[in-house]
Amino acid sequence: MNLEQLLPTVVFALMAGLLIALALVVVTSRSVFRSAIALTGALGVVAGLFALMGADFVAAGQLLIYVGGIMIIMLFVIMLSQRPMAKADRQTNDQWLWGALFALAVTCGLIVQFRAVYRGIFSTTVSMPTTVSIGRLLLGDMVVPFEAVSLVLLAALVGAVYFGLDYEKPQ
Amino acid sequence: MFELGPILSRAFQTLQSWVIAHGVPALGAWILAKSIQVGVVVLGVSLIPMVLVYAERKVSAFMQARLGPMNVGPYGILQTLADGIKLIFKEDVIPVGSDRIMHIMAPMVVVAPVFICFAPLPFGKGLVPIDLDIGVLFIFAISGVSTIGVLMAGWGSGNKFSMLGGLRGAAQLVSYEIPRVLSVVPVLMFYGTQSLNGIALAQQGRWYGIIPKWFIFYPVIGQIAFLIFLIASVAETNRTPFDIPEAESELVAGFHTEFSGLKFALFFLAEYAYVFVSSAMAVALFLGGDDGFSAAGIIPSWLWFLGKTFVMVFLFLWFRWTFPRLRVDRLMQFCWQFLLPWSIANIAFAGLAVLLIK
Repeated sequence: MNLEQLLPTVVFALMAGLLIALALVVVTSRSVFRSAIALTGALGVVAGLFALMGADFVAAGQLLIYVGGIMIIMLFVIMLSQRPMAKADRQTNDQWLWGALFALAVTCGLIVQFRAVYRGIFSTTVSMPTTVSIGRLLLGDMVVPFEAVSLVLLAALVGAVYFGLDYEKPQ
Repeated sequence: MFELGPILSRAFQTLQSWVIAHGVPALGAWILAKSIQVGVVVLGVSLIPMVLVYAERKVSAFMQARLGPMNVGPYGILQTLADGIKLIFKEDVIPVGSDRIMHIMAPMVVVAPVFICFAPLPFGKGLVPIDLDIGVLFIFAISGVSTIGVLMAGWGSGNKFSMLGGLRGAAQLVSYEIPRVLSVVPVLMFYGTQSLNGIALAQQGRWYGIIPKWFIFYPVIGQIAFLIFLIASVAETNRTPFDIPEAESELVAGFHTEFSGLKFALFFLAEYAYVFVSSAMAVALFLGGDDGFSAAGIIPSWLWFLGKTFVMVFLFLWFRWTFPRLRVDRLMQFCWQFLLPWSIANIAFAGLAVLLIK
């Protein structure tokens, strides 16, 4: 294996390790806020993995929507509802052993399944722009699912507005 | 005539071939080349805020009929350097009631994305650090990460003023991000690319030999998009009239109340670097990038770009010393009930125009 193949592998290994470490922090940290920050970091690392595989548009979208949007709203809610120095509860209860075993079993199953479809490590060091092909797909072959998803999101928005309406106040 | 791009690239190639001739493998030379490029950008990003802080102090002073910094160096031009040295030697205080890790990490999270944001900016002919195909989206995505740092600072300080500042910051930054992204969509629709360099290049040329083909001169659509982008950018950089996250008279200093020394300096570095990034984006998207009027290229393209960017920066400073601060609810109302509908309407206009032209 020469150096050019080694570099993406090393970067991938680093990012994968960081992702697993951050995921562990998410489930073990006693402070909700730290968990949320670790989750933000994990989502950012996933964006990095997308970028490593040459999916530039998806990587930027992941950062923009998850890190820059959803996680900020989540942190906002935590900041509104929690106190910074409140005594933090532990995240585990007496059944943590069974939970860990179950998680281990699921992980093993996933590894076995992914090995079946694994076709070697990505090899692109020079990635091609993907925006144009994504646009063509979304408004071409995939237009019906795309519109269906937008309809679902619209329904969710309307629902959120309906539940958020304040009926008590006279208009 | 004084184009930096070709000179720099020739010097760069000479250096690279010299390194390879002296027995460094190709990958090593590549890593070295990238390190030098990154070093140049990082150095530039660190220097720009120093210039902007000085500019802000002088502009505000002249607008208030005073002199501003005058003592350090001629006309006080070394004042920012002196301030920087002072901030480096100041004690770094971490409050007792704070979340230590969050408090230490917050300035890093705020500042790190700024350096990455400079990567796709087209500074002139042959002066694009990386010509990314998703340039515009990339800058929006990366700069959104800084908001997390604002929240971490607000939470990690363990202080109610910081907390309120962080909360306000989150609400404001998330809200204004939406019209800011949507205001750029008409530009992308007209030019069919997201690369900032591609958009800047597409704006060269003249209508009737006089009016430059900059996007701001596209009737109605260009002006609406530019105004929304400008207003949302001022809000995104936490500057007056949208500075409620760090409003001095209400919240002490908002999310960076508890930060001292170099950490405080990092917050300011990020703020001024974002002012520069927003101005540079506005220039590349709406003001023709490095397109200029000089005959036979006497004024090089990078100087045109920097000049226009500093005009935009001046606009940011001008806003700060002209408008009073908005109230929190007015601020949100303005974003959701005025900017957002108009940016969506502008996309519809742009779609109609593109359809009619093609």
